[in-house]
Amino acid sequence: MSAELLAQVATPVVGHGFAPHWGWYIVLYFFFGGLCAGSYFVATLLLLLGDPRDRDTIRLGYLISFPLLILCAILLILDLGVPSRFWHMVFQSKNVPELMFKPWSPISLGTWILSAFGLFSFVAFLGALVDSGRLRWAPVLRLADRVRGLPRQAVVAWNVLGSFFGFGLAGYTGVLVTATTIPVWQNARLLGGLFLTSAASASYALLVLLLLRRGRAHSDPSVAKLARADRFTVVLELLLIVVLVLTLGQASRPITTGGFGVLFWLGAVGLGVVAPLLLHRTALGGWDAHRREVIAAVCVLVGGLILRFVVVMSPQYPMVPLWAL
Amino acid sequence: MAKGFYTDTTICIGCKACQTACHQWNELPAVNDGQVELTGNSYDNTGRLSALDWRHVRFIEQFPEDRSQDGFLHGSRWLMMSDVCKHCVKAGCLEVCPTGAIIRTEFDSVFIQQDVCNGCRACIAACPFGVVDVGQDGKAHKCTLCYDRLQHGMEPACAQACPTDSIRFGEVSELMVLADQRVADLRAEGVPAYVYGKEEIVGGLNCFFLLVDKPEVYGMPADPRLPSDNVPEGLGLSALTAAVVAAGSVVAFRKERMDGMGGEPPPDTGPDTVPHTGPGGGSPGGGGPPPGVDLVAFMSAVHGANETARGRRAEPKAEGGCGGACGCHA
Repeated sequence: MSAELLAQVATPVVGHGFAPHWGWYIVLYFFFGGLCAGSYFVATLLLLLGDPRDRDTIRLGYLISFPLLILCAILLILDLGVPSRFWHMVFQSKNVPELMFKPWSPISLGTWILSAFGLFSFVAFLGALVDSGRLRWAPVLRLADRVRGLPRQAVVAWNVLGSFFGFGLAGYTGVLVTATTIPVWQNARLLGGLFLTSAASASYALLVLLLLRRGRAHSDPSVAKLARADRFTVVLELLLIVVLVLTLGQASRPITTGGFGVLFWLGAVGLGVVAPLLLHRTALGGWDAHRREVIAAVCVLVGGLILRFVVVMSPQYPMVPLWAL
Repeated sequence: MAKGFYTDTTICIGCKACQTACHQWNELPAVNDGQVELTGNSYDNTGRLSALDWRHVRFIEQFPEDRSQDGFLHGSRWLMMSDVCKHCVKAGCLEVCPTGAIIRTEFDSVFIQQDVCNGCRACIAACPFGVVDVGQDGKAHKCTLCYDRLQHGMEPACAQACPTDSIRFGEVSELMVLADQRVADLRAEGVPAYVYGKEEIVGGLNCFFLLVDKPEVYGMPADPRLPSDNVPEGLGLSALTAAVVAAGSVVAFRKERMDGMGGEPPPDTGPDTVPHTGPGGGSPGGGGPPPGVDLVAFMSAVHGANETARGRRAEPKAEGGCGGACGCHA
């Protein structure tokens, strides 16, 4: 951003801190972090409740999750400006190798949630690779054999625990921005829940999209199951957005008015929530059901990204034109 | 032994000697490479606290918009205040710092260790006073209470430079006694003075102020909030939402199965899919969830079940017991 534009946002409002200048790296981290956690959650839920036809979806969920997590880590490190500074987040700088863990600091908590979830995501990723026959390295195959010998309760507990960390990853990003003194953010205590719900809906949409691209029909039971769950989370997302805007009242203006407002109402709400619901209900645009399913899934994904863009950027740069961000 | 500043704004003359001394001692470069830029709305042309201005003298110019009438000066006044980091007893920046870069020193001041700060910028958004700012190096910067000088028994440069003793440095408890006395004297003369920075302001400010107008007039919040105030409620609502998402997803996943148990045909079953096999979908364990949840074990179980189920299926559409839908034969 240019110096002139930065100058427009230089003076904080009384009672509030400076804008932290969290930009695209953070927006993308919030979005992909949600997808990463959501994919793992959906795969685990299918593992617990699904049937044999969901096998491909489960594998897909786990195969998506870990690479996205790596992408998230890269985005976070890039955001620091100097990548080598990242280690201060993990170790006590004056007391290496003691770990740096401040659970009351949302960023520190998030760092450890991301790290812990990384372990679960990595194990699931390996399992999916072994299962698909893409990984034939003997030590991993031996490990897989050992896992088969574990008590089932232990394995259940492992997967469910991983999903809890996934929920933590998807939701803490919203809590992180509320733990500031920035207008809008500090009053938006529903943001954690909203981001979490949006992460779930985007993950369902991504998996639907990938299954359809793999040649599954929209009426395939696995696809239909995911689409049904997606509709539920999209409705919940709409409800949370309404409650959030109502509870914020006048404070929501940076999000709901001006250029950001247009983007919020048309992009996050219209495209991300209303359009997918309409596409499921009506033969909108004369498209067949398969195409509508694809378009609905794309809408949910794009809407989820726009939601995070507006929420992250608008309170920081209320006077800056969208094209400059 | 908390050390801090007591800034009496009623005797500040706006000379900015404190600001200059701070720049000089801390070797802070001139803002904008020394190019003077007018703010356009004040005689103060440095504007605000920043990564380069750790001290800033605010000029509050209380004059009517219309100055054409005689006597417009009646009731008009200048208020001056040398602003600085408050070194809060409950410091928001210190709370949120994830690296431990921000510490509380032996003088009870809040100090950013530059070699530890990694530039996450959480502290910048956490300060309710707009004090912490990000510098050109991407790290957070603010007043150090001249930590290096204190370690050698010296007072901070700004306090030493102040020509009117508007800025006093010392033990916070002793300074507070002085401030209370000054407030009493001013009130006796009819000036509505008060101390801003007692315990009700984020647990107390080690650098506090004597003011004669509302805090907002000086650019300070009447009731500043700590960032951590929002966290418990935010986490609780997130957990609640997570439970709703999980429950809703379970219902959505089970709906087809429950419909099947009710004797109705499963919805959305197209011609290109495997016929629905009722509760459990052919998974071991009947209507309940698959007994194995580890992916590798589950896949083996699923595959075995599919092979067993092959004979029960009317028309497998693809090679293999799972009808090809599971992708295991891809």
